[in-house]
Amino acid sequence: MPTRPLVIRYEDDLKLFPGLWQRAGVLLTLSITLAYPWLVSTRWLTVGNLGLVAIVGAASLMVLTGFAGQVSLGHAAFLALGAYTVAVLGAKLGWPFWLALPLAGGVSALVGVVIGAFALRLKGLYLAIVTLGLVFLTQHVLLAYPEVTNGLSGTAVPMYWWFRDDAGVAASLSETWVVGGVGFNFERKLYFVFALLAAGTVWLTKNLQRSDSGRAMMAVRDQDLAAEVLGVGTTQAKLQAFGVSSFLAGIAGAMFAFQQQYITVEPPFDLNLSIQYIAMIVLGGVGTVFGAVSGALAFTFLSPLAETVGGALPLVNQLTSAQQATVLLSLVVVLVLVLEPLGLFGVWLRVRRYFQAWPFRY
Amino acid sequence: MTQLLQLSISGLALGASYALIALGFSVVYRASRLFNFAHGELLSLGAFLMTALVEVMPWWLALAASACLTGGLAALLERTVLRRMVGRSVFTTIILTLFLGLLLRAGIVIAFGTDTRGMPTPWDTMAEVQVGDSTVLLSSLISLGATSLVLVGMHALVQRTPMGVAMRAASENQEVALVLGIPVGRVLAFTWFLAGATAAVAGIFLGMFPRSVDSNLGYVALRAFPAIIVGGLESVVGAVVAAFMLGLLEVLSQAYVNPHLGAFGHNFHAVFPYAAMILFLVLRPRGLWGEHEVRRV
Repeated sequence: MPTRPLVIRYEDDLKLFPGLWQRAGVLLTLSITLAYPWLVSTRWLTVGNLGLVAIVGAASLMVLTGFAGQVSLGHAAFLALGAYTVAVLGAKLGWPFWLALPLAGGVSALVGVVIGAFALRLKGLYLAIVTLGLVFLTQHVLLAYPEVTNGLSGTAVPMYWWFRDDAGVAASLSETWVVGGVGFNFERKLYFVFALLAAGTVWLTKNLQRSDSGRAMMAVRDQDLAAEVLGVGTTQAKLQAFGVSSFLAGIAGAMFAFQQQYITVEPPFDLNLSIQYIAMIVLGGVGTVFGAVSGALAFTFLSPLAETVGGALPLVNQLTSAQQATVLLSLVVVLVLVLEPLGLFGVWLRVRRYFQAWPFRY
Repeated sequence: MTQLLQLSISGLALGASYALIALGFSVVYRASRLFNFAHGELLSLGAFLMTALVEVMPWWLALAASACLTGGLAALLERTVLRRMVGRSVFTTIILTLFLGLLLRAGIVIAFGTDTRGMPTPWDTMAEVQVGDSTVLLSSLISLGATSLVLVGMHALVQRTPMGVAMRAASENQEVALVLGIPVGRVLAFTWFLAGATAAVAGIFLGMFPRSVDSNLGYVALRAFPAIIVGGLESVVGAVVAAFMLGLLEVLSQAYVNPHLGAFGHNFHAVFPYAAMILFLVLRPRGLWGEHEVRRV
C-alpha cells in the first residue's frame, strides 16, 4: 500500500505546491495545455475540449462522492440543468455565455441543495436510488415543457460573447478571429475558455479539500456519527457538498452544451452519463483532485482509442462504436476496482515512491 | 367500477413482475449486502434465452432451462467477481455491479443481436378472460398465478427447509454461521442462483404482451427500484408488498392522475413512483420495514 510523504508542520500541509517537483509539474502541465491546440488535429482538439468538460464534471462529482462520501447516481440531472439553462438563456434571450454560465451553475446548485436537504437522513444505497430518481424526474420535467426546452427534438445552444445589438443580432463566438496572423476558430476559442474554467475548478476543489469545510466533508465520509460527536456540523457539510458539487456540475453541463452546439435530453443526459462520471473518478482514484483530473482525461482520451481497438476485436466489432467503447472501458473499470482500488492515483503514488526511495526498495 | 377492476388486475399483474424483480434484489441484498445493479440484465438474458430455447424444446422445459442457466450465471458472477468485494465500501459494489451490467448487456447484444423478438406463449398471446363484467388478458392472470407460486415456494424454502435455515443464518451473521458449520460460500452461491432464476422468470413474463423482448428489457428493473426502497432493503416481504403497490400505483395513476396534469402528465406515471418514493423516504428514511441501523463508533 503506497503512502503519502510525512508532513510535519501545518504550514507544509497548507502549501499548494510544496516542492520543486510540484512546481515543475505545474509548469509542464501549463506548457502542454498552452501548446496542445496548436499541435493536434481538429478531431483531437474536440477530444481535448471534451476532456476539459470532463475535468470540471469529475471534479464536481469528486466533491460530493470523493470528499463527502455521498454516493450519487444523479450527476446527469445536474449536468442537464446546466446545459438547458444556457441553451434557453442563449437561444431565447440572447445572453452572452459569461453571464449565462454562472446562472447555469446557480440553477443547478439550487436543485442540488434542495435534493441535498431531502438526502440528509438517507445513507448509501437509499441515497443512490433517490439521486437516480432525480435523473428521471429531471428528464420528465425537461420534456414536459416543449415551449421552453423544445422537448424531444432538442435545442440549439448559441454561444454569444456580447448582448444583442439594436438590430437584435448578437455577436457569436463561432466566427473565426485572426489575432496577429494566428487564426482562432471556434474550437480553439472554446479550448482556451474551457481551460480557464477547468483550471479554476481544480484550484477551487483543491482549496476546498485543504480548508476546514473540506475536512468536515471528509470526516462525514469516514464516520459521520463520530464526526457529529466531535462537533463537526454534518448537516452543513453535506449541504455544502451538494451545493458546490451541483454548481460545478451545472457549469460542466453548460460547457458540454456549448461544445455540442445542439443538445437533446436523452441521450446524453441519462443514467449512462452518471455512470461515466463515476467511472472517471474510480479510474482516477476516489478522494483526490488529482484522481478527478487524471480519471477524466484518461476516460475521454481512451474512448476514441477504445473505439479503434474495439473495431479490430472479433465479436466486439458487431457492436456500435459507442458500445465498443463502453465494453472496453467497463472492463478497465472492473479490473481497476478489483486490482487497484486507489486507481491512477495509487499507480502514481507507487511510481513516485519508487523513484523517491531509489536505489532502495522502500 | 368496471374500469377500476380491470385496471387493478392489470396493475397487480405488472406488480407481480415487479415483485419477482424486487424479490431477487432483496434476497441478494440480505445475503451479500450489496445492491445488484446488474439484475436487470439477468432479466433480459432470461427472456432472450427463452426465445432461443423454446425453438428446440417444449415451453415448460424451456422456462426451467432458461431460469437455471440465468441462475447459474448469477452464481458464477458472485463466485468470481463479487465475493472479492466483501468488506469494500457501498460505493465500490454499486459501481462494480453497474459495470458488470454494462458488460452483460454488451454480451447479450453480441449473442442475440438488437432485433425485437416476440415472446412465444403456449396460449394465445392476446386471449382474454371475463372476470365479472370486465375483460382481462389471460397472460396477466397467468403471470399473477406464476408469481404467486414462486413467492409461496420461496417462502416455504426459506422457512421450512434446512437450506432456508442456513440462508437465514448466513444473512444474520456470516462469521457465526461459518463457525456453526454452515457452508456460507455454498449458501451465497445458492442465493444468487435463486435470484438469477427469479429474474429470468420475471423477464419471461415481462416479455409477453404488451412488451416484447429487446435489449432494453433490462431497464424495467430500474422501475422496480422504488418498490425495493419503499419496502425497505432488508425486508423481502416488504419489497414484495411494495412491488404490488407500485404496479397498482403505476397503472392507476396512468388512468386517473395523468389526464389532470395537462401537458405535464404525459408519461407522468413512469416517474410518479420515483417522486412518491422521494417524498416517502423523507418520512421513513429506511423504508417501511427496513432495519434501523445500530452502529458502534
